[in-house]
Amino acid sequence: MPRILGIDIPSAKRIDIALRSIYGIGPAVSVKVLENAGIDATTRAHTLTEEQLAQIAKAIQSTEMRPSQTRTAANPETELCPILVEGDLRRKVSEDIKNLKSIRSYRGQRHQSGLPTRGQRTQTNARTSKGPKKTVGAQRKKD
Amino acid sequence: MARSIKKDWFVEPKLMAKVQSQKEGGQIRPIKTWYRRCAIHPDFVGHTFNVHNGKAFLPVFVTENMVGHKLGEFSPTRVFKGHSAHVKREIK
Repeated sequence: MPRILGIDIPSAKRIDIALRSIYGIGPAVSVKVLENAGIDATTRAHTLTEEQLAQIAKAIQSTEMRPSQTRTAANPETELCPILVEGDLRRKVSEDIKNLKSIRSYRGQRHQSGLPTRGQRTQTNARTSKGPKKTVGAQRKKD
Repeated sequence: MARSIKKDWFVEPKLMAKVQSQKEGGQIRPIKTWYRRCAIHPDFVGHTFNVHNGKAFLPVFVTENMVGHKLGEFSPTRVFKGHSAHVKREIK
């Protein structure tokens, strides 16, 4: 199985599909990366040479699709910087959540209490953020 | 869905004017406000706002990290005190 950037081992699918098993790469980024690497998207992942894999790895680290700062009306066209994948992206996400908590914003407090942050209902459902159901209440007394 | 960049942040003009006049006056005092929907502009950093939550005015000291959020995000409107302890009832 081919390896790209150390940890990820995409399967014997088309390379544009296989790349999407990397955390942080979706359909749009995958297409852009292969374009930058100059590799045909329809080739199967296992047929790629070591050289081509190195090319893709390099393209992932240099593909610029992420705004370098928050865009506002004052500067709508900010520079783009390289995309983040895997560990770097996971770290960024958890840092962002930590920041929301530290400024005591509503979203941060929802994260802290393990409830949905975007105004969903919580009387029922919300199981993704609340986790598995915990039953409370009086147990029926056995005779 | 995110707000269009073209529109820029919504910053209440009256609140902005108050912040500016305080800056010029050199005296920073808490600003009492009901404008929970107002975005926090970079110029607001270092000011304190007493933001209405429907009942009281909660003090919000604006730091750099808060820029781009709304004032209302820092003045919770609901207080969760926890669920009551379950009363054990015997079944007859």
